[in-house]
Amino acid sequence: MTLLTDLAAARAQFQARYQGALSNDPLSEGLLNFQRSWRDTRDAQLVDLESILGRDRDALRHSLAEMKDRVIADLDVHLNRFHETAEAAGATVVEVTSAAEANIYIARLCQARGVRTVVKGKSMVTEEIDLNEYLADEGIQAIETDLGEWLLQLDGDRPSHLVMPAIHLRRHEVAGVLQRELGRYFDPDDIPAMVYSARTELREKFLTAGVGITGANALISSTGSVMIVTNEGNGELSASLPPVHVVVAGIEKLVPTAADAIDQVRLLARSATAQPISTYTSFFTGPAPSSDVPREMHIVLVDNGRRAMAADPAFADALRCIKCGACANVCPAYQVVGGHAFGHVYTGPIGLVNTAFHHGIEFSEGPQSLCLSCGACETVCPVDIALPRQILQIRRRVTSELGVSRSRRIAMRLFASPRFVDIASRILAYAMLPFRRGNFISSPFIKFAPARIRRLIAWRTPPALHSRPARSRAELRATAPPTAQTEATGRRVTLFLQCISDRLAPEVAVASADLIRAAGCEVVVPDEQHCCGLPAIDSGDDDNARRMARHTLEVLGATNEEPGDIVTPSPSCAIAMLHDYERLFEGDPIWAARARALQGRVYDLTDYLVGPARLPNGSLARGDAGPVAIDRFCQSANILGRGDTIDELVRGLTGAQIVPLQEAEVCCGFGGSTSLAAPDLSHGVLDRKLDSVRASGAHVLLTDNTGCLLHLRGGTDAAHLPIQVQHVAEYLAARLPDRSRSPRTLRR
Amino acid sequence: MTAVDDFRTRATDSASVVHELASWPDVARLALEVAEGGWIAITPSLSTAQPSLTAALRDHLLEPSSEAPFYSVADVAVGIVHAVLAIAETGSVLLAQHEPSDRSVSMLSKTAIQVVDRDCVLDSLDEVADWLAINSSEVSLATLVTGPSRTADIERSLTIGVQGPADLHLVVLG
Repeated sequence: MTLLTDLAAARAQFQARYQGALSNDPLSEGLLNFQRSWRDTRDAQLVDLESILGRDRDALRHSLAEMKDRVIADLDVHLNRFHETAEAAGATVVEVTSAAEANIYIARLCQARGVRTVVKGKSMVTEEIDLNEYLADEGIQAIETDLGEWLLQLDGDRPSHLVMPAIHLRRHEVAGVLQRELGRYFDPDDIPAMVYSARTELREKFLTAGVGITGANALISSTGSVMIVTNEGNGELSASLPPVHVVVAGIEKLVPTAADAIDQVRLLARSATAQPISTYTSFFTGPAPSSDVPREMHIVLVDNGRRAMAADPAFADALRCIKCGACANVCPAYQVVGGHAFGHVYTGPIGLVNTAFHHGIEFSEGPQSLCLSCGACETVCPVDIALPRQILQIRRRVTSELGVSRSRRIAMRLFASPRFVDIASRILAYAMLPFRRGNFISSPFIKFAPARIRRLIAWRTPPALHSRPARSRAELRATAPPTAQTEATGRRVTLFLQCISDRLAPEVAVASADLIRAAGCEVVVPDEQHCCGLPAIDSGDDDNARRMARHTLEVLGATNEEPGDIVTPSPSCAIAMLHDYERLFEGDPIWAARARALQGRVYDLTDYLVGPARLPNGSLARGDAGPVAIDRFCQSANILGRGDTIDELVRGLTGAQIVPLQEAEVCCGFGGSTSLAAPDLSHGVLDRKLDSVRASGAHVLLTDNTGCLLHLRGGTDAAHLPIQVQHVAEYLAARLPDRSRSPRTLRR
Repeated sequence: MTAVDDFRTRATDSASVVHELASWPDVARLALEVAEGGWIAITPSLSTAQPSLTAALRDHLLEPSSEAPFYSVADVAVGIVHAVLAIAETGSVLLAQHEPSDRSVSMLSKTAIQVVDRDCVLDSLDEVADWLAINSSEVSLATLVTGPSRTADIERSLTIGVQGPADLHLVVLG
């Protein structure tokens, strides 16, 4: 197939899966329960492991990652070693480049032994290479023996999770499949009876199959052993009962020694199923002795894009993956649509990355578009893969190799122009005035709008554009006496407004300036400032991202002849400046140096208020102290590693009652442009957040990121939730002494 | 806490039943009790090494045949194996299963009894790594078993007993 027909097919396939997933409510409910219980149990398991080994989890995952890196850097050395040791133990080892070669080898082997029935342990690589379909075409029946895989095979379905393949099936669906295929009644509420049917049906298959095929969790090069981990015991039976055992494994499964394999075991089950260890951890070294029949072991080592990954500095890390599925277990987008949409054959965040190498960039396009860039996946990866960065990198490749739509490209180019945005947003603000209701745009005519528009705004009331942006407001540059002496007193602070605060939430910009001044700083607001470039970075459009980044660097550099602090009420912009700019200017030493000069100068506002500009406790104890819930912007938690410092700040300064918010650090679904590109997904993630907000009993919801502020405000408005949503800065600034005496309402 | 205490705690957490018994005839009594009149399989090597066990099992004893090592013991009521190590860190035992007959007894019985000598109960999984480094070339399969076979593939509902033994008795011997 040509790339174009592949692309069309891939797009159609993705759309069908995505739309199907969106209309499957039981799927997302099931995954939500799963993610919550997994998180609790897995966290407890890691605490237990830390106490057993006396090392913290980060040290453990770093050392596992380093071990995998050594192998990836020296693949051939370890491959050759494994080759020697496994063959010395009596196994036959073959290395294949492509999926087709692997399939042909296995089919020929079955045919040479006269085998028509094969039993299989769970193996993602055989899914990757479509082995079962190939064998079927050759007249060989491959029978899956992992319960989940077996059910999916009976149903003509594919795995939606790396470890729990049938997690998308509900019990009544399972009962339906079994009833149809086995011809007898199954009670959907009698799960043990459904489970035992697999034992009954498969026992004879194990005993009669001529070949057993398994994957591998590790290949130990010093001993030539293949490590296979299962809970059911089906892998051990598949490998032991048939005379011929075929192992199919990616070359990245190599580990140097048995001790390395044991280190992997310690993190694998805890990360996968939140168990301390799986039930069976087996080390196969060569075939069993030929007693009853001649016994053979064949090990097929598959490249299929892995060497290309190893050679690519941006993606070599992804080969560390031990296929635990933890990344999917914390992914808010995965929770809403499951692995059939969020991933291809490999599902979850890692699937967005390795699909491009194993199956082609065209199959990555759709799934990667659903990533909200919250960064949760990286925090739980047992081998520390920089998944968010790699997913963005895939997004850039999608953009450069498959192209972006003309309208998107033009829109981003226009957005990159400060002058255009200024004029257009002012005109638009006036044009929308008749529809304005407070901070929102709303109109009774919305129900007559086309379905496409309703899908964008029915669940999230859109924010109103202000005809006078923050930068044009006198309050922003007002002078006020400091509230107290702080470490930052006397400093000159450049306020980076951030485009959203500037035009859509000027009250946040003004509140930020007031708070910085209250700490005794001089506030400078450069007029020429524009967007930091994050929307372009997020959509993989590096050209426009650089355009906006250069402008931002010029503006921030120009106003500060003597370097001072730069503060923004939007942590996402701070993260873009501190984490993305350097990569953006790789190979451009002059701009890269200017980007590096931002390090140590750029602060997110709340970090600044917690740090140098910390006012004394109780200094803002005014006004309503009713229950406040604090949403922790996901990137602040996952990328900046911020814990509950905002809770402490707000409690300390104001004495307000802070109530716990379940999953406070889980993404709210904003995800920048993802909420416009995939509104249904964004809506699903928002609902999870709003359920937690409802349950908290808070009267006020605070967040530290302005984009999320508008998203949560619009969402609570559309859901008629009686709760006030504010930026942390607004809440605090309203309690400043001069403000609380004469509450200042912003003119429109 | 001794390694055996830790081992008992962890093994019980993973749904194994732990016994401390003095001798092989005690193991035979346990096997006869849980077999409830059914057949009890042991490997030829254990049979040779422990005549007192073989004698005590008498007419309930079943040994895998060399012609059909798997068929001959499939779904036997109880299988007894002698483990090489037990690990307190995870409540696991390590089985050396070189011969097909070793594998058939441990994998195909409905209830498994895994016996480990008291002085082979060790603290850490690192001991398994050391054992593997030394013995892998001689042993075609070493399996670390932690609890009875299980699955949570249907709506994450934990169900014990799928393909492997549904009940697991661990005996610390001596």
